[in-house]
Formats: sequence, C-alpha cells, structure tokens
Amino acid sequence: MIKSTLQKIYLGFILLLLYAPIITLIVLSFNSSKTRSKWGGFSGKWYTALFQNEDIMNALYTTLTIALVSALVATLIGTMAAIGIQALNAKFRTVMMTVTNIPMLNADIVTGISLMLLFIACRAFFPKFSLGFATVLLSHITFNIPYVILSVMPKLKQTSKYTYEAALDLGASPLYAFFKVVFPDIFPGVSSGFLLAFTMSLDDFVITHFTKGAGVDTLSTKIYSEVRKGIKPEMYALSTLLFVSVLFLLILVNTAPQDNVVKKKKEVGKFKKAANIVFRRVIPAIMVIVVVAGGFFYSSLGKTNASEQVVVYNWGEYIDPEVIDMFEEETGISVIYEEFETNESMYPKVQAGAVAYDLVCPSDYMIQRMIENNLLDEINFDNVPNIKNIGEEYFKQSKSFDPENKYSIPYCWGTVGILYNKTMVDEEVDSWSILWDEKYADQILMQNSVRDAFAVALKYSGYSLNSKDLDELEEAKELLMEQKPLVQAYVVDQVRDKMINNEAAVGVIYSGEAIYTQSQNSDLVYVVPKEGSNVWIDSWVIPKNAQNKENAEEFLNFLCRADIAKKNFDYITYSTPNTAARDLIEDEELRNSTTAFPDASILNRCETFQYLGTKFDDIYNELWREIKSK
Amino acid sequence: MKNKKRLLTGPYLFWAIAFIIIPIIMIFYYGLTDADNNFTLMNLAEITTPENLKALGLSLLLSFISTVICLVLAYPLAMILSGKSVNQSSFIVLIFILPMWMNFLLRTLAWQTLLEKNGVINAVLSFLHLPQLEIINTPYAIILGMVYNFLPFMVLPIYNVLVKIDKDVINAARDLGANNIQVFTKIILPLSVPGVISGITMVFVPALTTFVISDILGGSKILLIGNVIEQEFTHSYNWHAGSGLSLVLMIFIVISMALITKYDKDGEGTAF
Amino acid sequence: MARKLIDISHISKSYGDNLVLDDLNLYINENKFLTLLGPSGCGKTTLLRILGGFETPNKGNIIFDGVDITNLAPNKRQLNTVFQKYALFTHMTIAENIAFGLKIKGKSKAYINDKIKYALKLVNLDGYENRTADQLSGGQQQRIAIARAIVNEPKVLLLDEPLGALDLKLRQDMQYELIRLKNELGITFVYVTHDQEEALTMSDTIVVMNQGYIQQIGSPEDIYNEPENAFVADFIGESNILPATMVEDKLVKILGVNFPCVDTGFGRNKPVDAVIRPEDIDLVKPGEGLLDGVVTHLIFKGVHYEMEVMANNYEWLVHSTDMFPVGTEVGIKVDPFDIQIMKKPQSEDEEAVPIEE
Repeated sequence: MIKSTLQKIYLGFILLLLYAPIITLIVLSFNSSKTRSKWGGFSGKWYTALFQNEDIMNALYTTLTIALVSALVATLIGTMAAIGIQALNAKFRTVMMTVTNIPMLNADIVTGISLMLLFIACRAFFPKFSLGFATVLLSHITFNIPYVILSVMPKLKQTSKYTYEAALDLGASPLYAFFKVVFPDIFPGVSSGFLLAFTMSLDDFVITHFTKGAGVDTLSTKIYSEVRKGIKPEMYALSTLLFVSVLFLLILVNTAPQDNVVKKKKEVGKFKKAANIVFRRVIPAIMVIVVVAGGFFYSSLGKTNASEQVVVYNWGEYIDPEVIDMFEEETGISVIYEEFETNESMYPKVQAGAVAYDLVCPSDYMIQRMIENNLLDEINFDNVPNIKNIGEEYFKQSKSFDPENKYSIPYCWGTVGILYNKTMVDEEVDSWSILWDEKYADQILMQNSVRDAFAVALKYSGYSLNSKDLDELEEAKELLMEQKPLVQAYVVDQVRDKMINNEAAVGVIYSGEAIYTQSQNSDLVYVVPKEGSNVWIDSWVIPKNAQNKENAEEFLNFLCRADIAKKNFDYITYSTPNTAARDLIEDEELRNSTTAFPDASILNRCETFQYLGTKFDDIYNELWREIKSK
Repeated sequence: MKNKKRLLTGPYLFWAIAFIIIPIIMIFYYGLTDADNNFTLMNLAEITTPENLKALGLSLLLSFISTVICLVLAYPLAMILSGKSVNQSSFIVLIFILPMWMNFLLRTLAWQTLLEKNGVINAVLSFLHLPQLEIINTPYAIILGMVYNFLPFMVLPIYNVLVKIDKDVINAARDLGANNIQVFTKIILPLSVPGVISGITMVFVPALTTFVISDILGGSKILLIGNVIEQEFTHSYNWHAGSGLSLVLMIFIVISMALITKYDKDGEGTAF
Repeated sequence: MARKLIDISHISKSYGDNLVLDDLNLYINENKFLTLLGPSGCGKTTLLRILGGFETPNKGNIIFDGVDITNLAPNKRQLNTVFQKYALFTHMTIAENIAFGLKIKGKSKAYINDKIKYALKLVNLDGYENRTADQLSGGQQQRIAIARAIVNEPKVLLLDEPLGALDLKLRQDMQYELIRLKNELGITFVYVTHDQEEALTMSDTIVVMNQGYIQQIGSPEDIYNEPENAFVADFIGESNILPATMVEDKLVKILGVNFPCVDTGFGRNKPVDAVIRPEDIDLVKPGEGLLDGVVTHLIFKGVHYEMEVMANNYEWLVHSTDMFPVGTEVGIKVDPFDIQIMKKPQSEDEEAVPIEE
C-alpha cells in the first residue's frame, strides 16, 4: 500500500510538472490585464477578441490546414511505404529505415536549414518559386512521414501475411483484400501515425521558422514573433480553446462505449452503438469538416485579389492593423504583411530574395548598407504626393545614410535612452553609468542587438557610436563583459513588459516604447543620458526585386497621409516625422513631450548609426559573440 | 506479389531523396565551400573558435544534465505506467502527448511566468515564507525547460519496451532465485536498454541543438550552439559557416543513429 | 512406499468473481512424474503457478517437504519452472541463461562451467554455449529452458505445457527426452498439459481436472480404462458413453439389452452411465452378439478402421482391424470387463464435454 501511495505521489509530481505551464496559460487567458505577470481580474474578453483578430485566426487556419494536409499526405505515403518496406529484402529495408530515421533523429534546426537551402537552390531553376505556404507544407510532410512509417511498421509485423493471401485465395482483388483484410489490422497504427503527424506538425516551430515565406504564419511563428514584445492574450485564449477541445475529443474517444460491450447487451446495444458512432466518428468528423471549411474560407479571404497586392516587411507591432484594413478597403490592394525583429535578421531575408518584398522599413545604418549593396530601388516621389507632410529636417537628417534622399521616406524616429523605475532607483539618473552600478545587479535590462549594446558602451566611454577604432571597440567590449553579470536579461521589445511589471529597475529602451510603458506604469522615467546616445530613423524603402512597386508607392502615400500617420502614432507611440500628423495630436502634454519629440539640446548630443562595412560588421559581431558566450 | 508491394515504396523513395537526402547534401555542399564556391574546411574549423567551442561545450553539458535528469525521472515513471492495466495505460500515454497540443513556445513561455522574480512560484514561496527561487535567465532554467519539453520523449520509448517484457521472463528469473533487486538489474534493466538508448537520443539531440529554450528561459544571456547556428543563418547570414557548424552537430546525430541501430535492431524502442 | 513431497490442502483461488480453484486437495510423491491434465481454463496452470509461487491462493496451504511455503517468494523455493513460452532471457547467451540461477546462488566459476557443459549434454545441445536464444529453434529453446531449470538441482520441476508450441514429431521426441531426463535426474516432475496422449505417455500419475475440481487421480491405465465419470471418459480418448440401468451386481441394461459386466455395488435398478471404448467392441456376425446393427460409416485410420454402427437407435463408435463395408449387418459383442460403469454426473464439471483443443 505504501508502494502504491508513493507511486501516486510520484505520478502527481510529474503531472504537475507537465501541466503547470498549461494551467498557467489557461489562467492567463482569463486575465483581463494585458500583461503576463499581473492579475487584472477575471475576464472572458480575450475569447471574444480572438474571433475578431484576423491575424490570429488566419494563423490558426494556416496551422490547422498545414497540419491536416501534411498529416493526410504523410499518412498516405507513409502507409504505402511501410507496406513496401516490409516486402523489401533485409538490406534495402535497413537502408530505407536508416533514411527514415534521419528526420526523426536529426536536429530540427539542421532539418529546417537543409530544407531551406534546398528551396532556395530551387530558385536557380524556377525563378518564380518562392518560400511560402507550399514550402512549409512540403517540409511538414517530410518530417511527418517517418512518424507514420514507425507507427505502421509494428502493426504490419504483427499482421499475418497469410490473411492477405487467404483473401486473395477466396477471390478478392488485391485492393479489396488490402482494404478488407490488411487495413483493419494495421488501422490502429495508421490512425496513431496520423494523430502523431498532426500533433507534430501543430507543435513544430523550428522547421517552419526556416522554411516559411512572407505572409505565411503558423501559430508557432506568430507566437515566436510575439515573444519579444509580449504575447497577445488572445493567443492564450486560442490555445486554451484548442487544448480543451482536444481534451474533450480524447475523453470522448476513450470513454465512448466499446464494441465488445455493445455485443453483449443487445437492447442497450442499439442505443450505445448509435452513441458510439456519434462519439467516435461523427463528432470528430464534424470537427475536421469545420476546420477544413474554415481553412478554405480564411485562405480565400486572405487572397481576395492575388494580382493586386503589396508585400510589406515591417518591424513587429509597427503599424495599426486598422490602417492596413483601411488601405485594402480604399484601394482594393491586398497587403501581405510580415514582421521582423531586428535589422540584422531582416537584411539577409531581403538579400536572399527568397521572398520578393515590395516595401521594407529598416533603420538608418541598414538602409545605408542596402544602398551600398545595391539592394534598393529609387522611389518615384511623383507617386507619393503626401510626402509634403514629412518635416524637412527629417529628410536632412536622412542624408547621413541616404545622401540624395532617393531611396527612403522616414516613418518613425526617436532616441535610445534609459528607462528606470523611480520606486526602485532613488537617485537622479543622467548617465549610462547606472548600467554598471552593482547596486542594481540583476535589475538591468540590456538591448539584445550588437549595435545598440555597443552604442551604450561606446557613448559611456565618450566615443562615437560608429567607432571603427579597434582599441575603442576592445574597451567597449571589456565594459560590456564587465556589465554582463549585472544584467538580468538581454531583450528587444520585452523590455517593455518587464519594466511595466516591475521585473527590473533599469532598462535600455527606444523612446517610442518608453512612451507606452509610461502610460502603463507611471513610476517609469525616461532619460537620454548626458554622454549622448543614438537618434534613429526608420524609413520605408523599396527593394530592387519588388514585384509591385506602384502598389508600394500607393501604400507609402497612404501612410504619409496626416490622419493615417496620426492613427499609427496613437497605436505604436513612436515619434512621427509627419509634422502634419503631430499637429493633430490633441494631448498637449504628449505633443510637446521631450520623450516623444526631443528638443535640439537633446538631439545635439545624439548620433545616427552608420553602416560600417562588412569588415567592421564582422568585428562587431565577433566581439558581441565573445560577450554573449562569456 | 512481393514485387508489386515493393512498388509502394516508390513515392516515399522519391520523397526521401528529394527532401531528406538532397537537403543533407546541400548542407555538406555549403559546409565545405566558401563564398566563392571553393572547397574549404574553414567552416568546420569555425567550431574551434573559443566562443563556439564554449557554446558547444555548454550545450553538451546542459543537454547531458537534462538527459540524465530525464532518465532518472522517466524510468520509474515508465515502470509505474507499465504496471497499469492496458486500458488505463493508453489513456496515460495520451496524457503525455496531450500537452503538445498547447504550443511548444507558449508552454516554454509559461515557465517564464512561473519562474520570474515576481512570478507564480515565487509568489507561492513567499506566501509560505520560503526562500525565493531565482533561476530565471540562468542555465538552471534552461535545463528545466529542456527536461520539461523532452521528458515525454524519454518516457514513451522506455514505457514501450517495458510493457513488451514477458511477465514470465521476470517470473523465470524469480523462479531461478533472483530477488527483486536482481530481477531489476539483471533482467528488466538490460531488456529495456533499447528504449533507454532511444530515449537518450530523443532527448539529447533536441536538447543539444535547441535555440528557442535558451532564448526564452535564458534571457538571451546564454549562448548555446543552436543559437550560434541560428544566428549564422538568420542574423549574420553566413550560410557556409552555419552549414559547417551544422555538419559538426551531425557528428552527434550520426553517433546516435549508430547507437540506435546497434541496440534497437527491431525498432522496438521507437517512441510511439 | 514413496515419500510424500508436496501436500496441497484446501486450495481456493479466484480472480474477481471467477472461481478458478475450489477447495483443492492433492499430494505429490517424491520422484514421480505427475501430470495435471484438463481442458484450458480448468485451473491446472493456476495450480502450477501457485506451486511456483507466482500466485498466492485465497485459501489453503502448500506444504513442501514438511514446511509451509504458501507465502514464500518464488526465489526462495526449491522448485523450478519451465515456462510455456520458454521465457529465455533474450539479452543473454545460452550459457548465461543456464548460469543465471547458479550465479545468484554464488557458485564458483568452475562449478558453473561444469554444470553448463553437463546440462547442455543432457539436453543434447553441446556446443551451443555462445548462441543467443533467437538463434535457436523452438525445440532447442525448450530444451535450454529445461537445462536452465535443472542445473539448479531442484527437488521438483514444474513444467507448464512445455511442448505446446512444438510440431508433432518434435513433441514426440521431447516426450521421450523428458522421460529419460526424469529417470536420470531422479527429481519430481509436475507437468501441465491439455494433451491426453502426452499425459498417458509420460506420467506416473495423472490428475484430471475440470472447472477447478479434480475429477480423477490415477495411473494412466486406471484413468483410461476405468474413468470415474463421463468427463474423464470423454476427455481421455474416444468412448461410447451410454445411459444405462444397473439391473443388479454384474448386470447392466444398455439400450434395453442386458450386458454382463464386472462392476458391483451400484445397487439395483439404479440409473448409471456405461463406458465402452471403441476398440473394446467386437463386431461379429448378426445374431452372434448381444445386439445387431448396420454399419453406417467407414474410415481407414491406418492402425485400424473406424466405423459407426447403428444399433438400437444409437451410433456405436467402433475401432477394429477387421473391415466391414457400409451397409453390412453386424452383431455387437462386448466382454464384461470392457464395460466400465459410472455414477450419473453429480455436477456440471463431471459431465462429458466436447474437447475444444
């Protein structure tokens, strides 16, 4: 008895470990507060919001469609293959099984990369071919087939080969014999293979991450892009719904009356048989039909008019989704929208050209790099009359990276500074030095990108943030290494949530983010340190390989409209270079805020990033890696 | 008849060549050439830079520790589960697959919420006046994430071999004089080796190559070899170096495949 | 007189509502070959597993050599089992399989090696030390399972349908092999089977079981020639089981005809069952026997002809080396000592049942 109690306790412990995060997510889905670690009261609002969030619903149906189609195809190919492999001689069987084991055992990252390399190589032969829905589907089928084969094989081994021959002997055609005799025997293997394939596809992130193209998002990739800036609570609601419906389905299938019970009691049997069919066939079938129909519905919704489109590649959370809707409605051009997290992760994607983007929004130094590497097309400003709304000074400033103002139109700008929580920091903060103050060990959030991190260290030491002096860089590296033990985490947009939630005392942050955080937590203060900092501009550019240049320009013109720029400012809270839009801001305090619109005294001590060339890029990257791997 | 059945491998054979073999060849190609398509071993040598070696070493260490913890947790669990009646066990196995329906990233992210300084666990601990648990953004959190995510891949193969052991084999050992401990060490443990091996590879390889778990639970402070490769591809855009490092990783994958073929000839220890 | 080695008293065992053994009593003498015979589900394997220590009875005791071993763990018992499906250790070589029990007992290396050699020789598999179980045929695996058990020099060897999975020829060879082993080793064999021929060939004593009860205990000859009830008669070989009335001692009325017999003590005019083995019926010319009939079926069986004779509304099964074509009128004659009289079945388990296997 003691033994069985111990067993129960142990099982309970493991289940707690497995399900604690899931319970957490379910609880979070009912949290009325938008941030993760604060309980704002019970609310079901995310569930209603979920169904209005077209992005998430789209990702959901892409995910489900890919999971379903890839599992079906994999089940078909895998089952056939299993039967065939069974009939092979031992040598070939070993070879086939070894090949089958590769995707199972290979690291996801290697599988994903290898497939990406293949697809990109394919473009040498088929220039029109690009990463997208199809490549994700192909990849998922690839890693799903082994699961099916490995589920079917054991069942096939248990099946007597004579039953098949007996059926043939009794006059059945091979196909009939297979479906009537062999298939029922291996069906449990086939169905568990299908279920596994479906689950694996649903849960995959890494392989999708490497093989997806613009506009295609599964829940996984959507979540990953949201990780940095905080998961939308609708996502929790969706996951909860998914989880609960699967749980419900499993309970149905597992507790539905079994066949042998039905046989024994004939009278009750009739009812139970009916119930059995309903539970184990009809309900799952209906769920599948709903999913498939929904998938087609949403995918048709997404591709209203494939010929008129514009492919936009922008920072995460960097546009009001309503603006896109308004544009689509007014012009009939559909916007395929994809997000990136850092300039460094955006650049290779544009350069590879696996996806033909029409409009990209990089930062200053990256634009310079793209111009130098001949990746950008000149903008036809005749198509963008609203450009008059953009303040002259911003074009002047843009000259540092776009000397002739031919390639870029400013979209947002701002400074980099320190955000601190005045309940945790007593002193007046005016210097980067606080980031090296041991008092705040494990309370400091640093930016997780090379240039931003080095900018802090270089400026703190009194150097230019575009330094090409190896000694200066070495010094900056030493500083950053020295700082590392004090750093709680290196983050990008997460600094926002963490500061709001009082997880840290000090953080390096973009001024636009600072405005938002202050609106959520009034204890937060933003300063641009006296040593100087970075002033940056994010501008729209059109890549050389754009397929819809005119649509891109039409979209640009739309974004430059004063009311639209104002709408975006309200949503993303980053400073707008659109002076006409600034005039529309009603809140006087905000309109004149030095955080949102820093004055000359602040700007004078700030520098803009410049592109330093491949050699110095490599040096910066190398130094950064040394810091990270310390 | 057999000939016709063999033809059924056709579509898969095509698929495997196109989407398994050729992509691997692509990695070899990129890994062994430089930007001008000349043959080079430089990309492989990338692994010897101190930073990469350190990342690889840390990855090996963390995945080794997680694998050991998974094994220690999973073995008794699989023993308990295999002792359950057949009807119950299929449901119990499903319980381990079920969490996968909640997205992997969300599950991992939920640990962040649980582990954070002001997180759920610390709230409970401080309510109980216990010392705070401060492991978020440290290697311990990464290990926890690995154990959490990969535990089912250890439990299921071990469970599968354990349920297949004939009760009479155990009875025979007892009959021949073995006590409980001897039955375990001389019969159950050796017979479960295929499952243990396949569990180890199913945990070790993904743990070794993960970049997501270290990103989310390590606060981007801890660089694992998976992060290095991911950055080579998506940030530095150096496919050649990335492929070269992937080739280095493939050594470990080949080792695990060899282990599997050696110890698990019949594919008994497959997870599912 | 042989010494009583195992005394099984009042053993009951049930799984849930299913009563498998009911108040069973049996003793086993030293150096005997005892067979538990019965259809599947009769409780014979359960009884064997209780002896081996893999099951504990709900009630009753097992006394082994004067010691109560009812609750003793299997590894502490001086019995060894040969399992139905051999249960060899697939991760070990043949030598390691055989050495298993000896190593646990801490025997010396030299002793173990000697024993392995000896055991392999005994089962005619010398030189197989380094093979693994899956390299052996069923018969060879069977013999290894026996070798693995006997090296431990158990006082009793329990065998659970060990020949069930083998083909006919191999089974017959192994039967002789087992008898030889038993004679050479001088240990007690408790053997479980549902094959009556196997039981008759090998046993000193047969225990016929059905539905958890012992039906009859006796030598093979006793069991065959003098079945105590319809179940035993039907289960052991083929027989004509006829409803009859005991007119008086040594006279029984079967199908309205009086047959002289040798049985006494059943009372007068009592309903009984009469058993007549098919080979004990002599076919003679019509009128020369006790009753007349017509041959309705004829099959050549090799050693003999099998015929069915319709007489007094009953199909008599007859085995004879003489052949009578279908349609021949014949007389039926039975010697008095070939008629076995039994009481009417007292319970369900004593009734004749069709043999399923």
